[in-house]
Order: sequence, then C-alpha cells, then structure tokens
Amino acid sequence: MASHYEAPIRKPLVLGDKGYHEVSVDIAAPVEGRANKQWWIVFSIALVAFLWGVGCIIYTISTGIGTWGLNRTVNWAWDITNFVWWVGIGHAGTLISAVLLLFRQKWRMAINRSAEAMTIFSVIQAGLFPIIHMGRPWLAYWVVPIPNAYGSLWVNFNSPLLWDVFAISTYLSVSLVFWWTGLLPDFAMIRDRAVKPFQKKIYSLVSFGWSGRAKDWQRFEEVSLVLAGLATPLVLSVHTIVSFDFATSVIPGWHTTIFPPYFVAGAIFSGFAMVQTLLIIMRKVCNLEAYITVQHIELMNIVIMITGSIVGCAYITELVIAWYSGVEYEQYAFLNRATGPYWWSYLLMMTCNVVSPQVMWFKKIRTSILISFIISIVVNIGMWFERFVIIVTSLHRDYLPSSWTMFSPSFVDIGIFIGTIGFFFVLFLLYSRTFPVIAQAEVKSILKSSGERYKKLREAGKPLYEMPKTLAEISAAGSVEENSERAAASRENQVNTLLDRLGTFDPITDKADDLKRIKGIGPQMERALNQLGIYTFAQVSRMTEEEYNMLDEITGSFPGRAQRDDWAGQAQVLNAKKQ
Amino acid sequence: MKQLLSISLICATGLLLLASCQNEREPNYQYMPNMYESVGYETYEKVEWLPAGTEAQLPAEHTIARGKIPYGIENNPAGKELSRALTSPLDSLQSEENLAVGKELYDIYCAICHGTKGDGQGTLVKREKILGVPSYDDVGRNINLGSTYHVIYYGQNAMGSYANQLNETERWQVSEYVMVLKENLTQ
Repeated sequence: MASHYEAPIRKPLVLGDKGYHEVSVDIAAPVEGRANKQWWIVFSIALVAFLWGVGCIIYTISTGIGTWGLNRTVNWAWDITNFVWWVGIGHAGTLISAVLLLFRQKWRMAINRSAEAMTIFSVIQAGLFPIIHMGRPWLAYWVVPIPNAYGSLWVNFNSPLLWDVFAISTYLSVSLVFWWTGLLPDFAMIRDRAVKPFQKKIYSLVSFGWSGRAKDWQRFEEVSLVLAGLATPLVLSVHTIVSFDFATSVIPGWHTTIFPPYFVAGAIFSGFAMVQTLLIIMRKVCNLEAYITVQHIELMNIVIMITGSIVGCAYITELVIAWYSGVEYEQYAFLNRATGPYWWSYLLMMTCNVVSPQVMWFKKIRTSILISFIISIVVNIGMWFERFVIIVTSLHRDYLPSSWTMFSPSFVDIGIFIGTIGFFFVLFLLYSRTFPVIAQAEVKSILKSSGERYKKLREAGKPLYEMPKTLAEISAAGSVEENSERAAASRENQVNTLLDRLGTFDPITDKADDLKRIKGIGPQMERALNQLGIYTFAQVSRMTEEEYNMLDEITGSFPGRAQRDDWAGQAQVLNAKKQ
Repeated sequence: MKQLLSISLICATGLLLLASCQNEREPNYQYMPNMYESVGYETYEKVEWLPAGTEAQLPAEHTIARGKIPYGIENNPAGKELSRALTSPLDSLQSEENLAVGKELYDIYCAICHGTKGDGQGTLVKREKILGVPSYDDVGRNINLGSTYHVIYYGQNAMGSYANQLNETERWQVSEYVMVLKENLTQ
C-alpha cells in the first residue's frame, strides 16, 4: 500500500468505482456512439443562428457599416462589445489549462479540455469582429506588416488595435497548439479503440502517431509545462491589450490605468461562468457526472466569486477615483452611467456582476447545480453589459455637448451577435461529439491519487492492484507435476480443436504462406502460429470470433489483436490473390 | 523530398498561370478598385451626355476670364500692319532672363522648322519634309517684334497658330528672341 500520502480532507475527484478502463470507456462513449435526437435539434438551432449571422455579415460587408446602429459619435458599440465579450470568455480556458497547471490543481484535469475548446471557439468568434467591423474588410491584410509594392508601406506600431491583431492571433495559435498537444494521447486512445476503418483513419491522422512511450510522455509533460508558462503571461497580456483599446484613449470613462487588471479579472470571471454553463450541461448530457463533480462546480464557483469580487472592487475604485480626481468630465461620465439614459444597463451590470457572485459565499448555493447554472448565465449577461456600458456610455456623452447622442442597435448588430453565438455552439456541439471532452490521460494520472475507488482502497489498507488470476494459477491447487501434465494435455486438446476447425497443414501437399503479410502478424507471432500448425492464409481465413478467442487462450499474447486487425478478412484477400 | 518537389512544382505552375493572365494589350487586373475611377469629371474624360462627348467644352463667346486680356487685332493683312506698331509689354530690365526663356521656348516650338539660328534650316526643312521656310533676315518679309507676335498668335500661310501652346508672356519672350536671331543673321 503505496507510499503515497494524500490528505484525507481531500474529496475524490473521480467518483464511483472507476478504474482506467472505465475512464476510457466513459470518455470515448460520446465519440463512439451516435448523436441522439436532442443533439440534432440543438445543433440545427445553432446552425440556423449561425447561418442567419452569416447572412447579416454578408449584408454588412456588401452594403456597408451603415446598416448597423452606429453613428458618428458612437462609432464602436455592439461590434467591439461582442469582441471584448468573446475574448473575455475565451480566457478561462487558458486559465484553467495553464494557470491551474502551474498551481498543480488536480481538479482542472476534468474540465481543461472543454475549457480550452471553449477558448478556441470563442476566440474564433471574437476574431470575426475586428474584421467585419472594418469599413473595408477586404483590405484587412494591410494590418500585417508585409513588404509590399507601396514602397514597403508599413503599419504604425503605436496603435493598440494593431497590438490586438498580434495578441489575438498569437493567443489563438498558442491555445490551439496547447490544446492539440494535450489531445494527442486522447486521440490515440480513440484511435486504438476505433472499430470503423474511417474513424480509425481519421483518429490516426489527428493523433500524429502517438505511441505513448516513456520518452514521449516525458517530453509531453515538459512541453505542457513550458506552454503553460508561456500561456499564462499571454492570457494576462491579451486582455490587457484589449483593454488598451480603451485605456490608452483620451475619452473620459476610458482613460484609466485600472483597465488592464480589471479587464483580465472580468475575463476570468465571465470565462469561468461560461465554462460553468457548458459543463453543467455537458456532464449531464455526456454522462460525465463522475468526472465533473459537484466539487468541480463548487471550485469554479469560488473562482467566479473571487474574480467577481475583484471586478466589484474595480467598479468601486473607478467611482472613487472619479470623485477624487476633480475632473468634471470624468465625474460626469460616471454620473451619466448611473443616472443617464443608459442607467438600466449600468444597473444591470452592477447587479449581475457585483451582487450575483456574492451569493457564492453560501455553501448551499455554490454547491447547488441549478443555482450555479443560473448565476453563470447571469454573470455572462452582466459581463456583456459591462463592456456595453464602458463603450457606449463613455462615447455618447463626452467633451462636447454638441456631439452628445444616443445609440440603438439595428437588427444587423443583433443578428451578427446571435450568429456568433450560433457559430460557437455549432463548433462546440461538433466538438463534443468528435473529441474526447475530458483529458482521459490526465484524469488517469490522478485516478489513483484522487479516484474514489482507490481512495477507499487506501483507507481500507488494501493494495491498489492485485494480479488477475490466470488459468495456471487456478489449477495450481494440484501438485506441480500433475499440474504441468494437465496443462500440457489441455493445451494439446485446445490446439487440436483449433486445428480441426481451421484445417490441418500437410507439408507434403501444401505450401506454407508468408503469414507476416497479414497486418498485425510479426515474425514472432508467425512463429507462434507455425508451432500450433497454422501455416496458410486459408487456415487463417477460416477464423471467427470463437477461434480468435481460442487462439488468444493458447498463445496468451495480445488478446483481441487478431480480431481488431481482422486477420481472417485479410487472409481471405491474400488467399484469393494467391490463387 | 519527392513530395516537396511536386508541391513546389504545382505552386510554381500556379503562379505562372496567374502571372500569364495579364494581357499586355489590356489594362491589368485590379484588386478592389475602390477609388481608382474618378467620381468627378476628369479634364479630357469621355462624357456621353455633353456635346462632342467630351468633358472639355468651349467657353461662351465674348467672355473674358480673369487675368486674360483679348488680343484685339484681327487676323487679316490690315491687322498685321497694325500689329507692327505693338511694343513688348515685358520688363526691359529683365530682358536677359526673358531672352533665356524665349530661347528655350523657341527651341521647342519654332526651331523644328525655322532652325535654331532662324535661318529657315530646321530639321524638317533639311529632311525636305516641309519647304519654303524663309530666313528671318529675308528682306521681303521684313519682320519686326509686333508682327512676329501677330504671326505666333494667328499663324501665317503654312504656319498655324501657336496661341494654344504659348501664353501671352511666352509669345512676347519668343518674339524678343526672334528679334535677337534676326539681328545675328543680318550681321
């Protein structure tokens, strides 16, 4: 009973009587099964929303930005609001997979895969907005400093909008690499379990020939750590750069030094809320309650509560500083937020972001799945309004009263936002059916330390693993001599029955085939088969499930291998070719 | 390696194909010509709805543009005699500069027929493309400053008007330079 010590206070992270195999089976189940009716219904809804959004985007680009509700004063509204919102949502994924990895949080294992998927899909949504809100998006490539025919005309590196380009593109590519690297062992697991040839082909392609050797694992761990180390500052800097879009301006209400950390906190806040929303559904739909436990939900709620409090602090700081500054423009900006024509959005943001996470102080509430689900949605509504309030209320009333105005979105503004939500769910739903939604390799790495089954075994003082009893051991009851005699006799019996079924090989009339040509049979296996008396393709082609099992029992090596590789089918083809 | 080679071959062929799409007899393809075509009217642009189908329209007769003075002498033998009495409006203190400009303009517009020395031996005459260009010292012609100006303005016999090519100042500058050439020839 291992030298492992884990504090008894820690609750199990994998519930139920789960061994390694059960983990594989549970996680591969959604990928290997077929989508049910509900999935198709939800997918269709998401697809329709997505297509509607595509229509709106095409309309905007072909007709002009004037189809939106923007005006000369409020020239950023839903576009950048949605952009910042989606980028913010994306941050939780990297936070979970990178920061929690650096802090050695074992509970991240069950949620990091989906959180990272969420990151990637939401950054894709965010990445749409900087393009489509351009007046001439077909010239978007001009933001990239590439040598050109205009006397090598370059971009100005002083604009945070350019930094956005670098931040978002780097963020997406690093997240994608980080995610995919983590997926390799899991894709390999699906590949090795796949029975359909097409599925096998696809998963062998995406798993990059992962074979799980010690060297591979050692490097895998190193890469994960290095990427986590890189992704953490990236996460902080990406949303910082996004906040610079506002903080570096001269607009009262935007020009603040608190924005970088406050935006990042808000990003984690809204991102975790989104993870919460998705995972609460996913654990139910994909039957993953044993992996995404109430403890996970509670821990995420605690993160939401903490970041929510940080955001709350920032709101108060902003208000205090506005009052303290003595700058009447700044003071008016906040007065306008609270009592101006958009007071309702400010109120909504305050209630959703400041009040709602505070209920998490109560254990009963933060361990309640239903309330967590509701609050996670409320938080994301609040965080959408936070960006809306920051952008619109600062723009629509600023220095010159003669340029004061109002903003109201057009159906295209709204349609594009709905479209991105649809697109997000299209991607996420496809992901949940084709990708291992939980990092099984990582869950298996904590199974013995944090799995309920092993925790119980440890507490009971029992060994964590017992060798399964083999045929030989069962018959070990008799004397050694008798035993070996009996074993030999039974083996001979088995071989004879097998050969009876497959047909015997007569070295005078028949010619031996090169069995190695069958995929899955190596030189060693060929020798073993020859010893049994199997020499020809014809013999192999007669094998069915029963014979496979007999063969496995006799040779005792690579159980199930012959069936997986379909030796009989291969032999049939080879035999036909021979004749 | 083989794969890499074939991929690069395909790429190269694609690029060549793309490049060969450009036809030298036609303007090249443009990517998103947003402000390439003028919205306003360009000077010599074709305009369907205007007379003569061009943007360049004649001004109304008997109108005087700011900064312009009508010549006032008519294009007939009597007018030419009248013009002999004209004097140069140019500043005599700057005659050297005026003559320098006059030489330049003369070499461009006049020397092709009249010759750089004004002896009627321009390139076109030497190549016998055009005949009967008199020398400035031709006694029968008896040109002076005013009549030179008049001839530049209206043209005479085979010579066309140069009023389109030269403005008023330039015409006087050339006329003064012609007088210098005439003097050089008579010496």
